[in-house]
Amino acid sequence: MLTRRQFLGSGAGVSALTLGGALPGLFARAADDAVKADRGDRVLVVVELAGGNDGLNTVIPFEDDLYHKARPTLHVAKEQVQKLAGPVGLHPSMEAAARLFQEGKLAVVQGVGYPEPDRSHFRSMEIWHTASTGQRPPSAGWLGRTLDASFKEGADDSLTGLALTDSLPQAFLADKLTVPVVRQIENFGTGVGDTPDADPPRAKLLRKLSTGPTVKGEPIPFLRRQAEAAYRTAARLREAAAKYQSDVEYPGDLGAQLRRAAQVIAANLGVRLVWVSQGGYDTHSKQGPTHQALLGELSGALAAFQKDLEKQKAADRVLVMTFSEFGRRVDENGSQGTDHGAASCLFLCGSKVKGGLAGTYPSLAKLGEGDLVHTVDFRAVYATVLEKWLGCDAEKLLGEKFKGMELLKL
Amino acid sequence: MALTHLAPEREAPWDARAAAHLLRRAGFGASRAEIDRAVEQGLEGAVKDLFDDGKEQEAQFQETFRRLSGSFVDFSDIGQLQAWWCYRMLTTRTPLREKLTLFWHGHFATSVHKVEDVFLMHQQCETLRRLAWGNFRDLVLAVSRDPAMLVYLDGESSTKDNPNENFARELLELFTLGVGNYTEKDVREAARAFTGWHRDNTKFTLNAAAHDDGDKEVLGRKGKLDGRDVLDTVLAHPALPRFLARKLLVFFACPEPPPEVVEEAADVFQAGQFSVKRFLTALFQSKFFCAEKCRRTRISSPAECVIGACRSFGVRLAAQECRDHVTAMGQELFGPPNVKGWDGERKWIHAGTWAARQAFGQRVGEVVSGNDFGPHLDAFALVPAEVTDPKKVAELLAERVLEGTLSKKTRAEIAEYLVAADEGPKPDDFRDNGDFRAQKVREAVGLLLSLPDYHAY
Repeated sequence: MLTRRQFLGSGAGVSALTLGGALPGLFARAADDAVKADRGDRVLVVVELAGGNDGLNTVIPFEDDLYHKARPTLHVAKEQVQKLAGPVGLHPSMEAAARLFQEGKLAVVQGVGYPEPDRSHFRSMEIWHTASTGQRPPSAGWLGRTLDASFKEGADDSLTGLALTDSLPQAFLADKLTVPVVRQIENFGTGVGDTPDADPPRAKLLRKLSTGPTVKGEPIPFLRRQAEAAYRTAARLREAAAKYQSDVEYPGDLGAQLRRAAQVIAANLGVRLVWVSQGGYDTHSKQGPTHQALLGELSGALAAFQKDLEKQKAADRVLVMTFSEFGRRVDENGSQGTDHGAASCLFLCGSKVKGGLAGTYPSLAKLGEGDLVHTVDFRAVYATVLEKWLGCDAEKLLGEKFKGMELLKL
Repeated sequence: MALTHLAPEREAPWDARAAAHLLRRAGFGASRAEIDRAVEQGLEGAVKDLFDDGKEQEAQFQETFRRLSGSFVDFSDIGQLQAWWCYRMLTTRTPLREKLTLFWHGHFATSVHKVEDVFLMHQQCETLRRLAWGNFRDLVLAVSRDPAMLVYLDGESSTKDNPNENFARELLELFTLGVGNYTEKDVREAARAFTGWHRDNTKFTLNAAAHDDGDKEVLGRKGKLDGRDVLDTVLAHPALPRFLARKLLVFFACPEPPPEVVEEAADVFQAGQFSVKRFLTALFQSKFFCAEKCRRTRISSPAECVIGACRSFGVRLAAQECRDHVTAMGQELFGPPNVKGWDGERKWIHAGTWAARQAFGQRVGEVVSGNDFGPHLDAFALVPAEVTDPKKVAELLAERVLEGTLSKKTRAEIAEYLVAADEGPKPDDFRDNGDFRAQKVREAVGLLLSLPDYHAY
């Protein structure tokens, strides 16, 4: 068990990790633009479903009468579910995801949650982002701690983590570095300096005056180094967007984020952790059409991303994981919606996934205060991803040992 | 107590650069006129002026807020409340109070994302503002009873049967003493003392039935302690003055103050009986603060960068737009990332936020001028209209925006940039055409704001 100090990453306590021999550390690249990333560098893409996704209507136990009884207006009829295996199926709008399942590229983890579930968005999201249920969560997120653990002073880490959302997720808060938030790739950093060919005088002059050595005292040398790094990052991102060739169509805003993820992954920029987010899952009223649209977009986006990665020949090194801060109550409420619940499902998607159902579907007969009781602790999924996919010391990063699950075929 | 670093500075010259440094750190930067006035007042006078009570303008702010509420502005929208704070920072005649409010907001961090009630965030901000340079004792008591804090750190549901340690822990670790100065038992016992400190909607209420009135021991003090007793004990702890003094030094003076300076600062804070006004009055007039090597050693926070540019160079941007720039640079007002507030300094700068700072510089350079309606930058207020030699203009701008820290070579490049147009250099147009010159001056200001130098604060 880590001391709280170490766990909180207060600088002094986090020691360098020794990584499994087979996989390189997250910061394998040298601070040299010419070094290409090893195609073996694996990528984790986290898809956050914000608001509390109703797992019960996503992965549907259509044979269970209790399900149909609890949701007079919201239940999905047996004939309409997208069949998976056995007594569960996906929401009707998730046809593309069901196909991924049939191809063995989708793992459906059932009953995911944690003990003493919290039904506050803020608090539960914090629990998932920090992988901590303690009263005082660590200041660094679970992926931030992962980045901190293999941080090497002087290594070019500017793009190892990348958030393609509007703001930095708590999961990415780190002590030793700051993960960039990049909303758009194509014109990222316009104003930071354009390519030499299209260089307006201002951009060119600005770059000239902002970079290079200086005799001035701190913090100016630091700021100049950051400016230099920002120009490189901007150039690399724009290059990625320019080089990227694909005719795969992505649906919606989530699709647009995953398309950008595909661009940076295909361009081999050394990105290892990517965050994207889809909001709107807090369906307290008239859940039907909203949830249908969201899951349709999710399903289509995951399938498009997989197809694109296969075309880019990058599918073998990418793993997608979805999560939501909680599921929703079993009984529907008076507004044809559902309120905050507890256990839910999550998906792992990719060529190296061990497709199929994992975990156990929570019982609808034995509830916890009206909510589904979890059968899988989410940190076991994290541990699997950290240990088996990223080659990191999961116990150290999570502060506790969680038994890995058979979710990957490596 | 014999002070050396924090002894009053009596010999160093009190000139425009010294005044600009003071007004930058004790506020958000200053216009030429404000700097000149401070130079005239002398160091002591200028520092005294920082603490003007600003009652008249405060009454105006309150009146404006009341008038706009609900009809023109929906202050239950956090974005509007953020814009309102930017408006206060942009227009206040007592910027030290706003700067301190921002400091305390980061210190006693709470976030609207958990509190959810925008009014509670506003109320807490008003409390911090009112007590900004008062006594730390009053401040920490007010914050312990503040409804936004009671929500954020779960005090409102902490009861005798089910005490919640969140507030007690952060009080000791982040607000007053720091790690290593208390034990886990102290946290648990302190949590018991604060049980029942609840709220009734927007007001503090002491819920006697929920309060654990049993015997406790916190930091060596025994008794049937309640929250106030814990606060008294904490305030008497020897680690407190050093902890607070160090935080204030880092925010106002330099990011890594030497230990001997921290010790002196702790003594000063103690001797002033935790009056923030007395501490800062001493700090701002100290040898340490006034020394040239204390200048431009910090990295500007987004608020300092944006509000600073507006106040110092007469850039007029709508408060909502300022809010957007500040947020894009990574500082969401009322929404710090966690209870530690904002780490600040180097953590402000990475590819994404650097792009946002560049975008701000570019925007300032492109601001349309010439009327009283909308965003505005009066080029001739920065560089008199009669100065038409690009080399002289470059000198003036370098001095005004960056306090002359640019090399001769760089100034020559700026001079060239000033006469550049799409079709080639136009020195004649620059000299003869006021509109062209004004436009190029604005672009040059934008360029200077985009240089790394500008962000050394």
